[in-house]
Parts: sequence; structure tokens; C-alpha cells
Amino acid sequence: MSNETTTSSKSTRIRKEYFIAYMMVAPTIIGLIILNIVPFFKTIWMSFSKSALFGAWEFAGLKNYIDMFQSSEFWKATLNTLEFLILTVPIGIALSLILAGLLNAKIRGKTVFRAIYFLPMVVAPAAVAMVWKWMYNTEFGIINTVLRAVGLPTNNWLTNPSTVLLSVAVVAIWSAVGYDAILLLSGLQAIPLSYYDAARVDGAGGFKQFIYITLPLLSPTTFFVLIMRCMASLKVFDLIYMMVEDSNPAIQSARPLLGMFYRQSFEVGNKGYASAIVLWVFFIISIFTLLQFIGQKKWVNYDI
Amino acid sequence: MNKRKCMVLMMVFSMVMMLLSGCGGASNTSSNGDKVSLTFQIWDVFQQPGMEDLVEAYVKDHPNVSIEVQTINWDEYWTKLEASASSNSLPDIFWMHTNEFMKYATSGMLADLSDLYGDKNYYTNNFPAGLVDNASYNGKVYGVPKDWDTIALAYNTDLFDQAGVSYPDDTWTWDTAIEAAQTIYDKTGVSGFLAPLDDQSGYLNLVKQAGGYILNDDKTASGFTNEATKLGISSWISLQMDHDFSPKQATFAETDAGSLFVAGQGAMLLLGSWNVAPYLQDYPDLKWDVAVLPRMSNPVSGDGRGTIYNGLCYATSAKNKNLDVVKDFLKFLGTEEANIIQGKSGAAIPAYNGTSKYWVENLQDKLNVQVFEDMMEYGTQFYNAKSKSQWNAIVRDTLLEVYNGTKDLDTALSELQKTVDGYLAEE
Repeated sequence: MSNETTTSSKSTRIRKEYFIAYMMVAPTIIGLIILNIVPFFKTIWMSFSKSALFGAWEFAGLKNYIDMFQSSEFWKATLNTLEFLILTVPIGIALSLILAGLLNAKIRGKTVFRAIYFLPMVVAPAAVAMVWKWMYNTEFGIINTVLRAVGLPTNNWLTNPSTVLLSVAVVAIWSAVGYDAILLLSGLQAIPLSYYDAARVDGAGGFKQFIYITLPLLSPTTFFVLIMRCMASLKVFDLIYMMVEDSNPAIQSARPLLGMFYRQSFEVGNKGYASAIVLWVFFIISIFTLLQFIGQKKWVNYDI
Repeated sequence: MNKRKCMVLMMVFSMVMMLLSGCGGASNTSSNGDKVSLTFQIWDVFQQPGMEDLVEAYVKDHPNVSIEVQTINWDEYWTKLEASASSNSLPDIFWMHTNEFMKYATSGMLADLSDLYGDKNYYTNNFPAGLVDNASYNGKVYGVPKDWDTIALAYNTDLFDQAGVSYPDDTWTWDTAIEAAQTIYDKTGVSGFLAPLDDQSGYLNLVKQAGGYILNDDKTASGFTNEATKLGISSWISLQMDHDFSPKQATFAETDAGSLFVAGQGAMLLLGSWNVAPYLQDYPDLKWDVAVLPRMSNPVSGDGRGTIYNGLCYATSAKNKNLDVVKDFLKFLGTEEANIIQGKSGAAIPAYNGTSKYWVENLQDKLNVQVFEDMMEYGTQFYNAKSKSQWNAIVRDTLLEVYNGTKDLDTALSELQKTVDGYLAEE
């Protein structure tokens, strides 16, 4: 490429590069618009309508929202979703932090361990749910069988209203901890070792090193993992849907907002009402994410 | 620069092609020249061989037609069908069920099959009246009746022998059944009667036996608060809640009654005839038999006998592109010949009058399946309504609360009465 250019050929070159750039992102943007953005606006419109059979709609104003906010089932679902969030996020992140630290240690066969811990993410959620559901089975499941053999009390994990969300949360944490650990691992490996050397010279032990070097310098990655986990927990559907079915006595204590959405949309056929529920979930996630972005100034450290 | 631009364009092109190819595939029918290929959608994988027998018999005489039988699991069948209907891509032939028939027929989704045979009375002459009724709307027939099924009492002969209880017969009342269940439970420790929350294979039969109803004759009001209905439902609920011989609903939520029965964990169960062939095939070591349902000894009206019967029909879309060919196949499916094939395959009890004996013959030496046919005499059609698909889940959920102890039966029934009446009024 010749360095001496006239103005017109330079702007042509720039325009060509812009054109290529746009062409490269075009498939993704087109997909995003058709599959995400347009349906999003359609959902907003649907939430103000009442659905009739097979795609016919009639305008209904705020009726869906009024029904929604007055429904006790809806508030219970909101509580269930928030409870699920509290159960999965703190423990999940703590465990993946510890796991990431362990996977970074100088041990043999590190790569093998990393692959093993990543495996749960690779398995289809439906398969995970089915197997865990069988393990939790009150009479024939392996968990209770082992507990009984050791003489510990058993529980009807999935049909007891007080333990059902906890049981599903365990599965959610199990399946995500490997993935989060790998993410945190990459953050860990970006921390220059010189910091640790300096700290050791100054007399800081392993624990102090962790608190004052690792955590702050890892905070951007932790922040990312935190946001992704929060979103995933607020959007939980498939795990609970597959492990707790409608005939389960504990269903009211387990059904999350998106579970209620599915039921209203496909089982009861009330798609307008369901759209209002979806927008409420969107609102909650937005609030959470906004709070986290505001909070990041306090604890996320970007200068490595 | 040119080469790079070329490569970029090729990449973009191939990505767009991949995107578009993922969007396609909505239409299942194709006809190039004379060859027509159709899709036939069902929900019972056990009946697939039977349906394929029917396809084979038809295709033999119509070599230019090929029909592919696709099984979609019951849980996803209706969601998928509704999506197909909304996007005008319904399969060419599909099974239709009482629960959903009205929804599709009243929205004009189904093709009118009244004149399929030229003779207006073909259906009423050759199929049970209830089945034709459930496949009709506004005097027009929208489905070719396929089969009927009834609910009988299945029992584990091993457990009965162990407990020394004599087998159920047609003298049994529900009191006899409770006694037997209790004895079996006391003597063997295995559950004597499996009584989960279920409508067709559960309380509906007792509602009918008591003389009650869920929907009145012109479908304008429900009968939840009717005395006989309440007797039927409460008797069924009491089997599980007031006795220790039945597992509780929490257990059924984790392991369904059918699985418990075939694992030898339950002595008695209400079983629909569609389960007979699959059970025989999958659990050949299970020692069991069937009997007529116990009679209710204190009905509000009637003689205390009753069972729920239901039937599927074959249907197609009103907007199908190959309506002529599809209608011809549907016409074949409603002939005596086709029903005999279906009966011999053991798939289901064929609907055509007089052909049920082929299904019975097939299985007679293993089980006393004649009882299914016998009970048809006093069977009542499983109810349907246009709005049923909207409140069916609500009925189940409300009754579930009674099982959980969070609601008493009277409250539940009056709530259901109000809710369902509301939906019926909107129809």
C-alpha cells in the first residue's frame, strides 16, 4: 500500500474499510434485530393486549399489569426468583473463586482437572435436571439411600416446600461453578506474579495475599461473573421446570417468574398476560444490573 | 484488496445462507410431479408401528404417495401443534384429542370432513355416537374417529395372591376395593391402591358413577358444586388422603402411578386401555390382569356403574395444500379395513363398530381385556369444551391444593365452579 495518497483515494479506502466492517457485523446485527429487538418491542405491545386463539389479538390497556400486580401467584413467583438468586449467587461465586485458586496452583494434571470441572457446563441442562431429579427421589434416589445407610435423616427434597428451591439451587451451582472458575482463572492468570513476590518479601502470608492482591486485581472478572450469574438466576426456568412439575405439592414454593410465564403462555394460553410477566423480569434484571454498575465504582479495580 | 474483499463477501454470504437455512423447514409437504409426500403426526410412540401398518396398506394401492409417521411426545405435542397452526404449517394428518378439539374446530383450523364418504350418515352408522359428537362442531364432522378407550381396574395378581385376597370381579363395590387394598397393605406392606390426582384415569369415573357431571349438556355451566360430583371427587380424594394404603401426592409427583404399578409397588390402579399393549410389551414379567371398575354403592343417581371413554380422531388442516390426497388417506383410515388393521396391531381399540374384537383377540390370552369392551355399555364420553384447554390446568392445580391440605374441598369446588363458568360464558 503506497503511503502517498490523494485525498479522494484515502477517503475511498476508508469508505471501503467501513463497508467491509459493516458487512462483517451485518449477519449478527440482522440476526439481533430480527430475533431480539423486534420481538422485544412486539412483546411490549403484546403485554398491552389480550390474546385470543391462534394469534389473534385485541387491545386491553393496562389490564394485564393490573391483574399481574394483584395476583398472589405472581408475587410468590417473584419471591421464589429472588430467593433462588440469593441461594445461587453468593455461594456460587465463592465456590468458583476457591476453585479458580485451586486450579491455578502448581499441581500435576492441571489441564485434566480444568476439563473435568468444566464438564457440567457441556452437558445439556435437560439431562442434568433428569439425573439430579432421580438422585433426589425420596424413595429410590441415591442421596436418600446414602443418608439412610449412614443413619442420617432423609428429606423429600423436591416435594418439601422448604427444601425444593435449595435442592434446585445446588444443581444450578454445580453446573455453573466450573464455567465461572475458568473465567476467574483467566483473570487470575493476568495478575503479574511480581505483586505476589513483593508481598512475600514484605511478609504477607497466603491469606493476606489473597485479600489484598488477588481479590482487588481479580475484581473486573469477578464483576463480570457476578452480573452473568445474577442474570442467569433471575432468568432461571429450565432447571426448575424439569425438576419440579406441576403436580408437585411444592410447586408454589418453586415456580419462578419465567416458569409462571411459560405456564401462562403455553398451558393456559394467556399470552398477553405472559408478556407482562416477561417485561417485569426484564425490569428486575435491569434494576439489578444498574445497581451493580453503580456499585462497581466502589469495589471494582481496573488498574492492574 | 480485491482478494480480501472477495473473501469477506464470501464469508458474509455463507453466514447469511446459514442463517436463512435455519429459518426454513416450516412446510413439510412437497409434491414434485406426481409424487406426494405427507407427514402424519402422532403422540404415542407405541402406536407408531400400528400407524405405519396403516400407511403401508394405503401406500400399496397408491404408490405415488409417501407418508412419514412422526411421534412427538404428548408433553410437547400441543404446544407444537398450536405453533404450527398459528404459522399455517400444520402437519398433513394429525391426531386430535377431545381436550383440544373444540379449540381447533371453532377457529376454523380443521378441514370439514362431513362429506368424505358421500353418505351423510356414514359416521353415525359406523362409529359410536359419542365419538362422532366429539369430532363434530356445528353439525359438521372435522375428524375421522380413530379409536376409543375406557378405564378399567388393573391389579397385580402376585400381590393379591400373597395377601390371600380374591381377585376383583363385577360384584365389587368401592367398599370391597378399600377392604382389599387395606388387607394387601397390611399383609404385604406394599401400597394396596394407587390413587393419584387424575381426571380421566381418576376422579371423573367416580363422578360419573355417582351421577354427577363436570359440564352440563349444553356446556353453559359446570357441575363442580353438584352434590353427586362432589361425592365422586371426594371419594377419590379420600382414597389417597384418608387411608394409608395409597402413596401420597408428593410420591406421585416424583414417580407416577403407572411406574409404581409396573414396578410391583402398587396392587391396584385405574388404567386406560391405551396402556395395555405398552405394558405387556415393556413389562412381560409383571403378573397382572384387568377387571371392570368397582361399582359405587351409594350413588346420588343411577346404578353406580360408570367409566370414562374417549376417542381420538384423525384430522387435517383446512388450508392443507394437498387436501385431495390427504382426504383420500383420511377416508381410508375410517374404513372397516383400516380399523381391522389397527385392531390387529394392538395399537388401540379401533373405533369402527364391530372391529374392537380384533384388538381384544390380540390380547385376550394374556389379559381379560374383554372388560374394556364390556364397560363401553355404560361409558360416558370424556367432556370437552372450547375453552377447556384454558381451564384444564386450573382444575388440576386447584384440586392439588386440596391434596396439599391448603384448601378444603368445598372452597375448591365453588372456586372452580365460578372460574369455569366464567370461561364458559365467554365462549
